[in-house]
Amino acid sequence: MSVNLLLTQIVNGLGIGMIYFMIAIGLSIIFGIMHFINIAHGAFYLVGAYLCYALVSATGNFWLALALAPLAVGVVAWLAEPGVRRLYDLPASLQILATLGLALVIQEAVILIFDPLGKNVAAPAGLRGAAFFGSFVYPKYRLFVIVFTAAVAAVLWFLLERTRYGAVLRAGTESMQTVELLGIDISRIFSLTFAVGAALTALSGVLAAPIRGVEPFMGVEALSIAFVIVVIGGIGSFTGALAGGLLIGVVQSVMTTFWAAGANIMIYVAMALIILVRPHGLLGRA
Amino acid sequence: MARFKSSAWGLAVAIALVALVLPLMLPSYALATECLIFAMAALGCNLLLGRLGLLSFGQAIFFGAGAYCVGILSLRFGTGIVAGLLAATAVSALLAVAIGWLATQRTGVYLIMLTLALSQMFFFLCYAAPDVTGGDNGLMNIPRPNLAFGGHELLSLASPFAFYVFVATICTVAFYLMARLIASPFGATLEAIRDNEDRAVAIGYDTRLYKVIAFVAAGAVTGLAGGLYALALKFVPLANVDLAMSERIIVMTILGGTNALFGSMLGSIAVVVLSYVLSDIWARWQIILGALLVAVALYLRGGLASLLDKAVARANEGARP
Repeated sequence: MSVNLLLTQIVNGLGIGMIYFMIAIGLSIIFGIMHFINIAHGAFYLVGAYLCYALVSATGNFWLALALAPLAVGVVAWLAEPGVRRLYDLPASLQILATLGLALVIQEAVILIFDPLGKNVAAPAGLRGAAFFGSFVYPKYRLFVIVFTAAVAAVLWFLLERTRYGAVLRAGTESMQTVELLGIDISRIFSLTFAVGAALTALSGVLAAPIRGVEPFMGVEALSIAFVIVVIGGIGSFTGALAGGLLIGVVQSVMTTFWAAGANIMIYVAMALIILVRPHGLLGRA
Repeated sequence: MARFKSSAWGLAVAIALVALVLPLMLPSYALATECLIFAMAALGCNLLLGRLGLLSFGQAIFFGAGAYCVGILSLRFGTGIVAGLLAATAVSALLAVAIGWLATQRTGVYLIMLTLALSQMFFFLCYAAPDVTGGDNGLMNIPRPNLAFGGHELLSLASPFAFYVFVATICTVAFYLMARLIASPFGATLEAIRDNEDRAVAIGYDTRLYKVIAFVAAGAVTGLAGGLYALALKFVPLANVDLAMSERIIVMTILGGTNALFGSMLGSIAVVVLSYVLSDIWARWQIILGALLVAVALYLRGGLASLLDKAVARANEGARP
């Protein structure tokens, strides 16, 4: 394998890894705060990607999709959260049953509205084609994804580490009860967190659409990877999800050139090993 | 339902009655066979979830291993049906020792995540070994040997009816044995572990050992179901070890209810029959199934078996003077 090909695979992995990170961080925080196992989390990604497809087909404007799809999904999630809240107190098995059902309803509704076939989404006009760095040639759109997601991650980091809301969230991961006793309206925190997690996941769906196209079962795949990253990084950990996402993205991307199925075996072996050896994740706090 | 819990014979009779009535209600023996096979698959999950509170996303490992085992043995080696099914049960039970031993290192969400990881690992292993499993294509044209003993043919299983009777017999025995298991002191210990593991440890029980044994029993019956499924379809698709298969088994188990073993039969019939009826009417029938799952989680936490419970209670009330 030439150096350039290896470099291409690594940079590809970084882009995909950042998309994985944005799916996983929502799942991670929602689980950390609400102790809610949301199997329907992949549906946010699915809906984000299909909204992107629909908006780009209708208007030809990717940037509109990038702005509107996460906003729409976030608002719907924010409005729906008080209804979803009924699930938080249920045992894990019933949470899984209900959210499995929800995921199924959303996935089938997508097939009903569109169709079961995969579709391509064009990259925005200015980002088609490749950028040249000496002998290294790389698609402009994928480069944009890396830069854009890095900016989103920076904003998210600021939100989580440097704001009052972030402090409440981090405290909530330790003990939501204590947070409530301190006189903080946790009901608002729940709604906001659910909405932010959903919007981030929808955003990753929008960004992924021009890279991998859209198909109705992409949510299931994304969910499974997100669980791996949450476990590897540690529940509720920002840096853990970031490191985990990038690690999985790069390993998957580099391994596909050698042995694609092997990459997936390795990923799940790693997941199992980490739960067995370091259940709080590589970077999670014990 | 207390009746069924206390008496393994009662459960066996109930299962036999269901097996007798099922073909009369359904359009084909094949559909009735599928109901019984998945009832056994859900039975294993029911033991883990109902008696121990352990939710395993790894049931497809056992189901798939049993199916591959029967498929490979009868395709490559021409093994008889009894030996094939026994091997499927044994292999799944052995796998369950390993899976159970690993999974029970952790509890709660981490146990769920562990079984998820192991299940995905097993799926990709099967996918990556097409020489053994047929990979994406699966194993095709699996012969269904006749029931034979010592070289003498006892019963041809070629007809859907004969195979249904064969599966119904095994299913009834499996439910009976499982009921005996949970009615035994072993079963009582499982409940004690579920309700308060620390106390069970303090009393002196090796709770991990009990959990692993439960995994083995669950794995064995699920593997047996998988083996029968291979013979029913004469085909072992990769989908048998898919995460969706684990989910299907979990859905049947919880939908049916885990307070009674009989719930697994109800859950299996509900999902299999609903898929069959609705998929004929509307291609997007899973929307209805999904909505039903949400409704059950919110409003019928005991599952379908609790409906039966209420009906029995009401009938008893009505009977009183």
